[in-house]
Amino acid sequence: MLFIIITVLAVLGLASTLTFFRFLSGKPAVDKRNLFALAGAHGEWLGGWIRTFFEPGFLIKVRAFYRTWVGQAYPGWRQWIFAALVVSFGYCAASGFFFALFVPGGMFGIPLLCHVMAGGLFALSLAASLILRAGAFRPGADDPKPEKCDFYPPLKDLTKKEILTTLFWMSAAAGLCLIVTALASMLSYFHYRAQMPLLDFHRYGALVDLLLVMIYLDLGVFPRRG
Amino acid sequence: MSSAERKILGGSFLMAMISVGLAVMVLSADDQNLKWDGSRVSPVHRIPLKDELNQEIIPTESYPLPFSARYTCAPCHVYEQVCQGLHFNATNSGRPAGRPGEPWIWADEKTGTMLPLSYRQWKGIWDPGDVGLTAWDFTLLFGTKLTGGGVAEPADKDVTPDSRWNVSGKLEINCLGCHNASRLQDPSEWAKQVLRQNFRWAATAAAGLGEVGGMASRLAATWDLFDGPNPDDKEWAIAPSVRYDPALFDSKHNAFLDIAYKPEDSRCLACHSVAPLGAKKHEFDGDVHTASGLLCVDCHRNGIGHDMVRGYEGESKDYGKAENEAFTCAGCHLGKEAVKGGRGFSGRLGAPFPKHNGFPMIHFERLSCTVCHSGPLPAKEPARVRTSRANRLGIFGIARWATDTPAIVEPVYIRGADKKLAPHRMMWPSYWAEMKNGKLVPLKPNRVLAAAGETLNAAESIARILISLFNIPDLGGTPVLVMAGRVYELNLDGVLDVSEYPGPVPADDLLWAVRKENKILPLLPFDPDAQEPNPDTLAQLERVLLALGAMPGAPGEPVLLYKNALYRIANGQLEKRENPVSSETLKLAWLIAGKAEPLFPDIARRAVLTLTGTDQTLTEEQVGTVLRALGKDHVYVSSGRVFGLSKKGKLEARNDPAAAPVSWPLAHDVRPARMALGTNGCTDCHSAGSRLLFGRVKGYGPLKTSQVEIRSLHSFMGLGKPYHVFFGLSFAVRPLLKVVLAAASLVIGALLLIAVLLAIGRASGLIEKRR
Repeated sequence: MLFIIITVLAVLGLASTLTFFRFLSGKPAVDKRNLFALAGAHGEWLGGWIRTFFEPGFLIKVRAFYRTWVGQAYPGWRQWIFAALVVSFGYCAASGFFFALFVPGGMFGIPLLCHVMAGGLFALSLAASLILRAGAFRPGADDPKPEKCDFYPPLKDLTKKEILTTLFWMSAAAGLCLIVTALASMLSYFHYRAQMPLLDFHRYGALVDLLLVMIYLDLGVFPRRG
Repeated sequence: MSSAERKILGGSFLMAMISVGLAVMVLSADDQNLKWDGSRVSPVHRIPLKDELNQEIIPTESYPLPFSARYTCAPCHVYEQVCQGLHFNATNSGRPAGRPGEPWIWADEKTGTMLPLSYRQWKGIWDPGDVGLTAWDFTLLFGTKLTGGGVAEPADKDVTPDSRWNVSGKLEINCLGCHNASRLQDPSEWAKQVLRQNFRWAATAAAGLGEVGGMASRLAATWDLFDGPNPDDKEWAIAPSVRYDPALFDSKHNAFLDIAYKPEDSRCLACHSVAPLGAKKHEFDGDVHTASGLLCVDCHRNGIGHDMVRGYEGESKDYGKAENEAFTCAGCHLGKEAVKGGRGFSGRLGAPFPKHNGFPMIHFERLSCTVCHSGPLPAKEPARVRTSRANRLGIFGIARWATDTPAIVEPVYIRGADKKLAPHRMMWPSYWAEMKNGKLVPLKPNRVLAAAGETLNAAESIARILISLFNIPDLGGTPVLVMAGRVYELNLDGVLDVSEYPGPVPADDLLWAVRKENKILPLLPFDPDAQEPNPDTLAQLERVLLALGAMPGAPGEPVLLYKNALYRIANGQLEKRENPVSSETLKLAWLIAGKAEPLFPDIARRAVLTLTGTDQTLTEEQVGTVLRALGKDHVYVSSGRVFGLSKKGKLEARNDPAAAPVSWPLAHDVRPARMALGTNGCTDCHSAGSRLLFGRVKGYGPLKTSQVEIRSLHSFMGLGKPYHVFFGLSFAVRPLLKVVLAAASLVIGALLLIAVLLAIGRASGLIEKRR
């Protein structure tokens, strides 16, 4: 139950925060001292933003954006590695959180089987992605065009590159946690009572990873209008 | 108030005070009985025996009565409290039935009836009252394995007119059946006495306190205990009596009873043994708890109320006794959960703590411990087992008591009330039934027999003839029947044994013969080439016909048909007549209304040939014949199917919930941990051909038929086959998945380490300094 509460609060909280910062970065014409007006405007903006998902041509835009973005980061055959990472992480997160939040008995049956298989693919693709992209996210590497993150007020002293590098390695660490806990639960070295903490580590690792990916997407992938 | 009124009031008050005083005394006496003084030593039981009239028994007097547990044990143990115990309270409707246990199985081989019964309301089990059994009937049927008390000791108001309790006495709780540590305690003697209807004498005889003779079953229904022995009949209807062993008594007529506070396992196993069919005793391991020195009662314990711990998970909820949870598997092996940060303790009675390394938690949420640890390992088909109560094990004597039927199999994995899978024992009920108000109501075997006539007497009709042939003077061997290349011979129980014919099979399809010194010789050695039979053969024929004619219930006059002759006995002499129908082979027959009929009917011949070598007792032809005799709306249930007659009068089978198998969880024998499922890895259970999931359960019943219910084990578990086949297959690649995960972990870990070192180097300035 605790996990459910934490997950719902964390995901909704982060999503609200990120969209709020994104809303503010558009410099809206609203009295920022009036909390209700600010919240109303944010809600209105959010509704408009969500409506764009259903506009004609949205999918074409997304595909075009994906090709451009992935083409830069994962050129050629490497895009398949990224696709595998996205698909496997997407399925694992969707199935894992759905069963954790809505099915009291936890995951079972075909979804569990697919979760395990997708987990294997996730591990491979994550390792390959790290090999390919570790150079681009080398800690402390020089940043020729430092860009301040002034749209993230709490992190406004850091550059975008620094934040993305941190997010990249933190999500790698969370991914490692997911893989290690899955592997450990399959090995006969751990007492059955260790299964519960392993499962907890796995779940909270997944939550952390999801939150990091949300921030990464907001900061590093989706362009800002403002 | 008048003085008379005052006196009446005063008298009433006095009586009320006396009553209260007496009640307090009785209650406090009971309390004392229940209290333990703290000593772990059991007292020596050198006590006076009392009979059912609450009189002390003087063993040396003429015709002493048998001892009564109700009064002998009563000064210290409250009999009425013991009556509430698990072994005696099945008819106590106020008590929850709890988890299903082994039912009593009404087994009647001749009619093919195998009907599970219990007074406890368990699913699929018939209440004895609903099938027309009175307490008397029930006690006669199952008394050999009853503990006494309960249904076998009905209150006077519950005695039914058809019963003979006044002759037999009631079957009191057999305290010594469990608590007698003497080597003389004999469950077989109990069974024999119960079968003789010597109910009130059974406990005395079984405990070895004395020798009991006579048979209450042969006495007139009007006989009473006070009638005593019958001086006019010392051969047949001998009233039961006991002759006590004087060595057990002291000069004050106190008997020494070797009482065990904790009964030894053999006392429990007299009624609770289970063994694989065909297993050899010396190869049988038994339960790991027994091997490590525990007694049954170390876990299945009870107080004076004898409300024994059954030891299953959820028992505490069923019976409202939280303390019983301590005696489940988890109770001893896992112990109590730590409370509020305290430390829990496990290992009661030395139970090792199970680590279950590598087992996903889901196993503990959905499986009971017994799935992996108890019963035989899963095989292609569940194993046939025999149980003490169903298959009459453990009654020893010249006769063979144990039976192979009812056919009980284990393990079959079924979900219990707690939704957890647990291994079960299973049997397929078989019974004749009548459709009443849309429900099948079982028929009592005697009603079926009455309708069936000779149809169900296949083997008996041959056995009767063989028995009558035994009476031939100077036979010099054992009469046998040679039929279709097999030799049918009576065993000591009067049942047909069958063996292959030694040597070339004789031309005659059916030959009456004599086994002499392992040779099988024709009973009537007619020489086919001789014009006339030789005198010795004719003399033998005369003896054979005389013996057959003396057979009780002979349906006609015995004759021999051979070629053109018909031989019969007339005026005590062999007579030869002309045979109207020529017969090339020797044919013994019955002459009924001038017509020669075979010695036993053809349907019996076909039944014996069909059923030989099986433990089944009915053919489809017999069932069809009996159903026609019973009339419409009657069916026979066997092997998971319901057999009835079609409109054209043919036997047809259909599926019906009334034919569903009956099951009850098994807990023992528990195997050692290293023989548990999962010891060799996940594939012990998870594979495409998993025996645990896809073993085959085949309906089995007394009817020899190809129309039987066949189910895969997964169907009892409520699991889908395609998924579990696929899931099982996934374990073939699981080692590869582990390698992939391990390799990925190493790569990601190494890169993370480098990244962290770089970050530290940059933050500390080490990298810049080096540059």
